[in-house]
Amino acid sequence: MATAGSTATSGSERRPALARAGLIWTLVRTDFKARYHGTLGGFVWALLKPMSMFVVLMAVFSFLFASKPTYKLNLIVGLFLWDFFAEGTKAGLTSLHARGYLLTKTRVPPWILVVTSVSNAVITLAVFSVVIMIFLVSAGHPPSLSALVAFAGYCVALGAIVVGFSLASSGLFLRYRDLNQVWDVVVQAGFFIAPIIYPLDILPERFHFYLYIWPPTPVIEFSRAALVAGVMPTTTGHLYLAVDAAICLLVGILIHRRLSPRAAEYI
Amino acid sequence: MALITVDAVSKAFRIPTVRRDTIREHLFGLLQPRRFHQLQALDSVSFELRAGETLGIMGRNGSGKSTLLKVLCGIYAPDRGRVERRAAVTPILDLGVGWNPELDAVDNVFLIGSVMGLSLREIRRSMDEILAFAELQEFANLKLAHYSSGMSSRLAYAVAFRAVREVLVLDEIFAVGDAGFRQRCEERYRQLHAQGHTVLLVSHDPNIVKSFCDRALLLDHGRIVREGSPGEIADSYVTTLTHRISD
Repeated sequence: MATAGSTATSGSERRPALARAGLIWTLVRTDFKARYHGTLGGFVWALLKPMSMFVVLMAVFSFLFASKPTYKLNLIVGLFLWDFFAEGTKAGLTSLHARGYLLTKTRVPPWILVVTSVSNAVITLAVFSVVIMIFLVSAGHPPSLSALVAFAGYCVALGAIVVGFSLASSGLFLRYRDLNQVWDVVVQAGFFIAPIIYPLDILPERFHFYLYIWPPTPVIEFSRAALVAGVMPTTTGHLYLAVDAAICLLVGILIHRRLSPRAAEYI
Repeated sequence: MALITVDAVSKAFRIPTVRRDTIREHLFGLLQPRRFHQLQALDSVSFELRAGETLGIMGRNGSGKSTLLKVLCGIYAPDRGRVERRAAVTPILDLGVGWNPELDAVDNVFLIGSVMGLSLREIRRSMDEILAFAELQEFANLKLAHYSSGMSSRLAYAVAFRAVREVLVLDEIFAVGDAGFRQRCEERYRQLHAQGHTVLLVSHDPNIVKSFCDRALLLDHGRIVREGSPGEIADSYVTTLTHRISD
């Protein structure tokens, strides 16, 4: 006798790997096209927002922190990593709702919809990473190979944090439709909690621990240390970031697995 | 051989007396507890869909047909019971497949085709055929937001008929488009049937069930109340409706 509800699939019912890869590529491509009106000009236009923010903040705060010669470089590293975090989490949070037209009419793994929704933020981060490198080289701070590898690792960790958050929040957003407004406030406050426009060392050291609990903080600080200061963070620091990212991703996966089977019912 | 087995599947929806969709509404409603009504959409439904057959499902509005199709396609999870799928299922539900209105027809075909399991190469190869079937070649680069509901539905059928791998699940087949489009759908359906594809078809039209199905089920209040030949089920369905009207 059947009791708990279950669905089992077997044989050819499973999606072939090639078709799944095609689905992921199509979701990334169509999301890019819908967001930027299918033109490169639309994408460049979207880059102007964080770029203009950088110019404004640099103009204002570089006077305030004139004694710090690397302030501009630290600002650009922090700002672009933050932009990835903010844009990625916002897109991820609304991803299932935005693509509800697929969930209610066809059978598609919800995690694919969530993960691919972060793709635009990843593309932007890739472009900004090149911009960061140009700034570093032109300022006489060419990063070493180990610094570049470390930075790539930090970006992966931040990506895992963003995906973990998105997996959890996208299911919750279907139940609580003002979660995006709450998250907007958190992101706004988080911009000042993370040491983006100010150097962390202007705060008493006893507060540093609390700031490091906010996930973007270690990513930003470690990236600055490796790329700008040329100093590698400690192994303990790396371990902390790895555990932090793994916990965010794991919790996100667990919440997603719990909520996603009924996602279509809440759309 | 059964391609889909539905074993004692039940599905209920909890309908609250007051809807609360936001954190604010939940917080402000903490001191005002609400009641929930249990809507039993499916109640211990069991049947098998055998390879190569066309199974028709009939029933009044609210009898659980759409919920059954969604559970069967894996869109809804059952509360109790078990659905076992041994073949790829291509659904066309609610006269559509789910479009992104901000994309044109070509990109939507890529999107839906990919979701339905076609590879990018298969979609590229079939694009002209799909657009021709839907008679939408000249509107291929128009955003779906500017399509009429009939145009969207024609495109949906065209993609799904091309994408079907083993089992096709159809909600109200042949209810869209003009006579010419319906005739093309019927021809395509007969081709698929001749090729050995399996079809699950929901319809309110007794003639469609009699013409296209090998066997049929009658649903009422979330239960299968009768199972038999398409003619018997279509007649029972009409009788049920007639009694209800005369009552």
